[in-house]
Amino acid sequence: MIASILPSISPGTLLAGGITATAASLWLLLPSGRSGAADRTARWLGWLLGIVALASFLATGHRLGSVGEEAVFLTVALVAVISGAATVVSRSPVYAAIWFAMALAGVAGVLLVLGGQFLGVATIVVYAGAILVMFLFVLMLAQPAGLAPYDRVSNEPLLAAVAGAVLLGILSLSIGRLTAEPPSCCLMSGTKAALLAGSGSAAEPTSAAEAGIDMLADNHVARLGGELFGRHLLAVEVAGVLLLVALIGSIAIVSRGAADAAPAAARRVAP
Amino acid sequence: MNLLADVVAPAPLVLDGLVVGAILFALGLVGILARRNLIVMFLCAELMLQGISVSLVSWSRHHGDWGGHVLVIFVLTVAACEAAVALVFVLQAFARTGRLDAAAWQSLRESNLSRTIDRELPAIDTVPPKFPKLTPAGVEPAADEDALLEREHV
Repeated sequence: MIASILPSISPGTLLAGGITATAASLWLLLPSGRSGAADRTARWLGWLLGIVALASFLATGHRLGSVGEEAVFLTVALVAVISGAATVVSRSPVYAAIWFAMALAGVAGVLLVLGGQFLGVATIVVYAGAILVMFLFVLMLAQPAGLAPYDRVSNEPLLAAVAGAVLLGILSLSIGRLTAEPPSCCLMSGTKAALLAGSGSAAEPTSAAEAGIDMLADNHVARLGGELFGRHLLAVEVAGVLLLVALIGSIAIVSRGAADAAPAAARRVAP
Repeated sequence: MNLLADVVAPAPLVLDGLVVGAILFALGLVGILARRNLIVMFLCAELMLQGISVSLVSWSRHHGDWGGHVLVIFVLTVAACEAAVALVFVLQAFARTGRLDAAAWQSLRESNLSRTIDRELPAIDTVPPKFPKLTPAGVEPAADEDALLEREHV
């Protein structure tokens, strides 16, 4: 979109600029122990740089065909990414949890647009409804009053921001390369290709458009359930056992830990 | 037979989904590395899982099969288990140290790493938030002392 407006900027320059802006933005936004006016200036600057970085990533985006689809995807993706950034840089853990709920709403929207109808709803129900509420309960049990000093500083914010930005750059480069050449994983080995050619059948479609449309059919959830409880039945059983083990394990840790922690708490209070 | 002809480049929607997944994963990584609050660190881990889920569903769309969707369902399951066990650990850590600070456990670090020393932070000059107050409505009824006493023993 923006690339057509600014044809003079090459994709490489755009990516490098976006990565630099991402690193600088995250470094400015992460809590670093500043306070007052300096903190406010750093945060404003950080959000501005973040918008620059987002714009450069938008410029590398693609036309999806219809304006409506583009607008919906852009909206939910921006909600997810901006709320995700706010989760990471929020000083107060309660605000971080609330921003994470917002990011989950965005991610659910992205999943819906991508054709994961069941997963979009499941993300809202399981994550925002259950896991996030568990986080908030723990925060209520364990959050000291006010903003704790360890919430106002970070471990090596510059190195962390650079590491994240470099990872993002590598991932974007490899994603951009997908359009140029097929990934080696999808190339068939010689024997398989020879077998397919020998049997005369067409190669199995790697990106079957009809399969993609099939995935968006009315009986989406029924087909997903069929796949889950047909081909992956054993894995479902194992996942059930895993849930049971986690439940028993957390109960065991709580009940044993309570006995161990009581003298520790007493020692902490006594002097 | 041209092998490359069978390999179709991903659709624009799939590519954009992959980019969103990559951004979420990188953000979560930065949070894990930089933040010190245990709960925020776990939130960032969940953010990384969300990025993975978006990527998996994108690839599922590209290949037109259900593998990615099924894998995301298992990611949800494992995330629920992880959150339950991890939050119990966080609660125990808080009960022992009184802090949700990762650096409170720095005695477990490698021997060649330097110690985290907290510097003195400047005071926060923010005004406390103002909450709205409800106007009192009606009259508080007189408390029946006998009833209160009885209720206390129930």
